[in-house]
Amino acid sequence: MKGWTGFILRVNLTDKTWKKESFTEEFAQKWVGGRGFAAKILFDELKPGIDALGPENKLVVALGPIAGIPAPNTGKVVVAAKSPLTGFYGDGNLGSNVSSHLRKAGYDALIVEGAADKPVYLSIEDDKVEFLDASEMWGQGTYHSNEWLYKKHGKNLGVLNIGQAGENKVLFAVIRSLEGRAGGRPGIGAVMGSKMLKAIVVKGTKQIPQADPDLMRKLGVEGLKKARELDQKSGWSKQSTDAVLGWCNEVNGLPVQNMRHTAHPEAYKLDGEHLNDARIATYGCPSCTMHCGITIHDKEGRESELDYENIGMLGPNINVFDLKQVGSLNYLCDDYGLDTISAGAVLGFYADAIERGAASGDFKFGDAEKGKTLLWDIAARKGETGNLLADGALKAAKVYGKNSADYAMQVKGLEMAAYNCKSIPGQALAFGVAAIGGHHREAWIITFELKHSKRESYGPEKAAKVIELQRIRGGLFEMLVACRFPWVEVGYELENYPKFFNAVTGLDWTLDNFWTAADRAYSMIKLHYLREFPNATRRDDYPPAVWFDKSNADTEGPQKGVVLEYDKYDSLLQHYYDQRGYDQRGIPTMETLKKLGLADEAAAAAKVAKLN
Amino acid sequence: MKVTVKLIGPLIYEGGFSEKAVELPGPMTAGELSAFVKIDKKRPTIITRNGRAVANSDLIAEGDRVVISHIYSGG
Repeated sequence: MKGWTGFILRVNLTDKTWKKESFTEEFAQKWVGGRGFAAKILFDELKPGIDALGPENKLVVALGPIAGIPAPNTGKVVVAAKSPLTGFYGDGNLGSNVSSHLRKAGYDALIVEGAADKPVYLSIEDDKVEFLDASEMWGQGTYHSNEWLYKKHGKNLGVLNIGQAGENKVLFAVIRSLEGRAGGRPGIGAVMGSKMLKAIVVKGTKQIPQADPDLMRKLGVEGLKKARELDQKSGWSKQSTDAVLGWCNEVNGLPVQNMRHTAHPEAYKLDGEHLNDARIATYGCPSCTMHCGITIHDKEGRESELDYENIGMLGPNINVFDLKQVGSLNYLCDDYGLDTISAGAVLGFYADAIERGAASGDFKFGDAEKGKTLLWDIAARKGETGNLLADGALKAAKVYGKNSADYAMQVKGLEMAAYNCKSIPGQALAFGVAAIGGHHREAWIITFELKHSKRESYGPEKAAKVIELQRIRGGLFEMLVACRFPWVEVGYELENYPKFFNAVTGLDWTLDNFWTAADRAYSMIKLHYLREFPNATRRDDYPPAVWFDKSNADTEGPQKGVVLEYDKYDSLLQHYYDQRGYDQRGIPTMETLKKLGLADEAAAAAKVAKLN
Repeated sequence: MKVTVKLIGPLIYEGGFSEKAVELPGPMTAGELSAFVKIDKKRPTIITRNGRAVANSDLIAEGDRVVISHIYSGG
């Protein structure tokens, strides 16, 4: 087998044992890597109904056949587990040197089982695995613990770590790396914390097996050069992802005041132009050609790395329009290891719930200082409010009652990213049917909706576009494990990726092979969902009720009076199901599963839930 | 005819301004306005007029707010 190392490292924290396991080429070609590996491993190894924060849950760190090999933006890893936030499969990706080091250590994936009885960190150095004492780091933020690890092990290694939020099992705690990267929005950091695993450090020195290393080197070097040129020509990196903030504000898609409003006259203070002006440094992931992390000095003078999602959700979504204050909120999330999107959504929800009389408290929209205090309360699960909000917006809404779930801005429990879609049906669908809950990573179609369709359309072309993007963004890139930005933002040709794949594996795949593999991974995740929620319905794929509520419509501007319409959204959902080969509940049919080679997995799911 | 033009993202550096009132010599389409403010014709853009997307061939009217953006893909 070439391209893949052919091995998985399995570590058990309960009894401090580890073993190196091989996998077959059939497994490799069927699941490719990253999300594909993780979804299959967790389906096979986790019993439905287990406690996501118990020792029986497993953390998977998965890579793909081009991960860690010099080529455009291949320095990423996928982290996955049963999500404590959503109750089914959850994953995320983040830039990390673990990508190259774990592969060079000889592994395509790491499975962490069991739980330690005191804080530990895992050290992997080629064939040596050690369980080391993390008590000095426990209770520390991600910046301090990352630095502690660098001092102890040097900087030539890959690090994954958690902050206090992960330790305290905040349900939207993330895993961090490189002091600026974060991944695993559905509480994968909490899973790590539940295992008392503070960090993973990896150092590898072997060669990654490749079918044609000379060809891969040539393609990789050319690709890096081309992707950099495209970025420089487009000027994308000048404002990075935050350029979209100003645009969202202009087209009424910005999350303002817990997504009550879609634009704000002060939003420009947070736009890409202002972020670029405030820039003190720029950071990216390993092998990155278009560094998206722009740092500024926050209100307290610390260096805080910002992009659109964290600005959108910690800025306008809670009515904070001071970039330095947004920087402070973001810095705290990063240090505590809180997901910035969910943190912004939870703060927005809490302020909204207070205003609407569902919750009590003194937090108001626009109060950045109180927001900072609340972030610590959440990360530490301090007090009744901090402890409740640490469970995410939906679970908090269930406690608050009074229909507050209607404006808990989430899908399947995962808080939605920074796009207000009450008048953008296709993107609302993209959130509704995202594999792991309300995530923008899977599909983003707003410019398509406005430019190549009609904004108000609920037609099949939007469902088709969502599927097309899911196959690319949630499939190809999450399985190869590479960043989508060179393709998605500056037009680096998609056709390059099968070339990389073929050079390292010796196979002869086309993009169509990846679409089949992507569809298989999506169906696999749907089976995870069905197994955990046997009574799943299509309503689970609906965005929050407030987006359908006329009283929440814009009161001025071009989208005045417009909200989503239930019957039309449902028909759009049906277009998606029909094109996907899913049944009326949004679950793949037996025919679809068999076509994708998932008969065995279907039989396993059918033991606990009905398949059509 | 006077309109307000707002540029987004890297177009600010290409056009040399972020937002300004522009006096047009006569009737123009959205595409012509984009070229008038020196945005490269080859660059894929999305143009909105008063918050709604328009085709390059659509006419601009007095008092319009026209936003010209690089096509973003949502990060």
